[in-house]
Amino acid sequence: MKVLEIKNVHKIYNSSEVKVHAVNDISLDFEKGEFAAIVGPSGSGKTTLLNMIGGLDTPTEGEIMVDNTNLARLKSSALIDFRMRNIGFVFQSYNLIPVLTAKENVEFIMSLQKWNKKEKDDRTFELLKAVGLEDRVNSRPSKLSGGQQQRVAVARALASKPKFVLADEPTANLDSKSTETLLDIMEELNKEEGITFIFSTHDARVVKKARRVITVEDGKVISDERKK
Amino acid sequence: MIWKTAWKNVWRNKVRSLVVIISITIGIFGGVFAVAVMNGAIEQKVDAALNEEISHIHVNDPAFRDNYDIQLTIPDAGQVLSTIKEIPGVAAVCSRTVITGMANTATKSAGVQIIGIDPETEKEVLQLHETCIPGTGDFFESESRYQLAYIGEALAKELNIIRYRIDESVLDSLAAREVSAEVLEELAAFSGKRFKSEKSFKKEVKAVLSMKEQQEYGAAIKEEAWSFRARSKMTLTFMDKDQMQTGAVFRIAGIYNISNGMYEMGQILVKNEDLMKLTGLAGNEYHQMIIRLNDLESTKEVSDSLKGKLSGLEVMNWKEIQPQLAMMTDMITKFYAIFMVIILAALAFGIVNTMLMVVLERTKELGMLTAIGMNKKRVFKMIMLESVFLSLVGGVTGIIISKTLISATARKGINFTSYVEGFEAMGYPSHIYPLISTSFFVTVTVLIIITGILSSIYPALKALKLDPAEALRTE
Repeated sequence: MKVLEIKNVHKIYNSSEVKVHAVNDISLDFEKGEFAAIVGPSGSGKTTLLNMIGGLDTPTEGEIMVDNTNLARLKSSALIDFRMRNIGFVFQSYNLIPVLTAKENVEFIMSLQKWNKKEKDDRTFELLKAVGLEDRVNSRPSKLSGGQQQRVAVARALASKPKFVLADEPTANLDSKSTETLLDIMEELNKEEGITFIFSTHDARVVKKARRVITVEDGKVISDERKK
Repeated sequence: MIWKTAWKNVWRNKVRSLVVIISITIGIFGGVFAVAVMNGAIEQKVDAALNEEISHIHVNDPAFRDNYDIQLTIPDAGQVLSTIKEIPGVAAVCSRTVITGMANTATKSAGVQIIGIDPETEKEVLQLHETCIPGTGDFFESESRYQLAYIGEALAKELNIIRYRIDESVLDSLAAREVSAEVLEELAAFSGKRFKSEKSFKKEVKAVLSMKEQQEYGAAIKEEAWSFRARSKMTLTFMDKDQMQTGAVFRIAGIYNISNGMYEMGQILVKNEDLMKLTGLAGNEYHQMIIRLNDLESTKEVSDSLKGKLSGLEVMNWKEIQPQLAMMTDMITKFYAIFMVIILAALAFGIVNTMLMVVLERTKELGMLTAIGMNKKRVFKMIMLESVFLSLVGGVTGIIISKTLISATARKGINFTSYVEGFEAMGYPSHIYPLISTSFFVTVTVLIIITGILSSIYPALKALKLDPAEALRTE
């Protein structure tokens, strides 16, 4: 089942003097449950592509369909709501809300969606247990290590049971051990919950774990390999 | 969750938030306390005017107030008095004769209004008798073979009926009041001296005392050096009913002290019977009826009723007699609100500045929140709540401090004796009891919330303009 279709997408930045073709005619499909990595050198267009997939940026040309919905057709407020319900985000620098505890950070999106307290508590406990932080529920981000913060960010991304999770360089700020733990957790959640994970990364350890590796260069897909 | 996050965000940068909160606290405290002092002074002024000077309603000939013509008495005063007493809401009524004339002593004279009263019924309507300075008389209580007059302190000073002296007994009294030895030594140089006027007394005492000594002991020296000779006399001259010049010697039946220096200067009370004898007015000829009501709120209703029943006479309620008092009572709440709005507007700039810094510092976080699903409405709400919480914490603290200080000072009052002359010249008391209604605190709280909301609009709009992808790239 396709959760994401990218059809002939272009992204052109027009500055006063130069025209930058950041994404150049990319077409990709993602099935439910994929664990894919988009790789490529800096400036190759990975982050721009990821931003467009996440509805944070709009393509100059082409279509991005999430669960048969064309993101370009959604109005600003509807797009934000659509993102909240269908797309999970994991950022390079964790980006947790510093004044909230781990539990409150995970609950945040569920609260925005007005889940009832029991549903929220159950889901939060389930996710924090899954990322191995059930004993740190009341810790604020400042009291957690980088790896632990990124695990909370993964739990938050999965909170509303999205169609897929976009992770932009999720391991860039982590040491080897934390990276290993995080990737194992994400892989397990991918298998257990059947949620598609799409990474943008430079990290060879992520590439090794990924079951599909898409290589981008100069805004174009130069290879799309699926591992067996 | 947004409420909780906004509240926690307020305490994210404690020092910055506390600076804003303290400035709001000081602003609100200053504003509320100043309003309480102004309000206390005005309430006292209105109370004093109604209880000691004018009461609630006056009835007289329509032309009488133009020039106080002695001929313009109330026709069939007995019937009018009965009619007034029958009106529901009337608590008491007294009849007065009012003429203009001159008050003279051996050295001075002054233009005055001479008011003939019946002391017993007068007491039921006005409380001027309660303001009699102890030791100066008894408001016509004791029998006397002389004609008596009850005069104001300002007039007594003007006519040199009150004088100032320094002698051994004054110095002893001052020593008992712990006036310093140095000051007593300076004052001893005046021992045995009598000063003709307050002005000359002040001038000479000020010349020998430092500013600090004047501030510390001035009030005590003035009180102890104050001198009045019992049964002092003065001559009142005026025109009688036949427009012939007449007059008589009156002894002082007491000196009243109220907060209105102008009134003290111009109004002399004498007995109706004495004034009628001198002017040739008959026993039932009165110029004015002064009415006291059971309830101030019924003023308009009763005066309208009287206007209907006493055609041919002028019926004026206190708001018509002293429109400036009416304006004060009617406008003052609006004035206080404007005063607080100005203070809050100044504070709002501080809040706007703080919230702009908040938005700037949290650009990345706001980008993340928008990315994960916080729509514009929710982002706006979060920024607005932070601003309102910041304002409310400061505002409510300011209100609590004001309320505490108002309660503390409301019992003993605040003494502005050093400025007594200035206050009394304007008709205000120099000892003020701060007073404020609970509804004012509610108004201020609402204004604080509105300030918080308005202050958040510009920073929140800045936050809404952030592009999430761009905001997430900021460091």
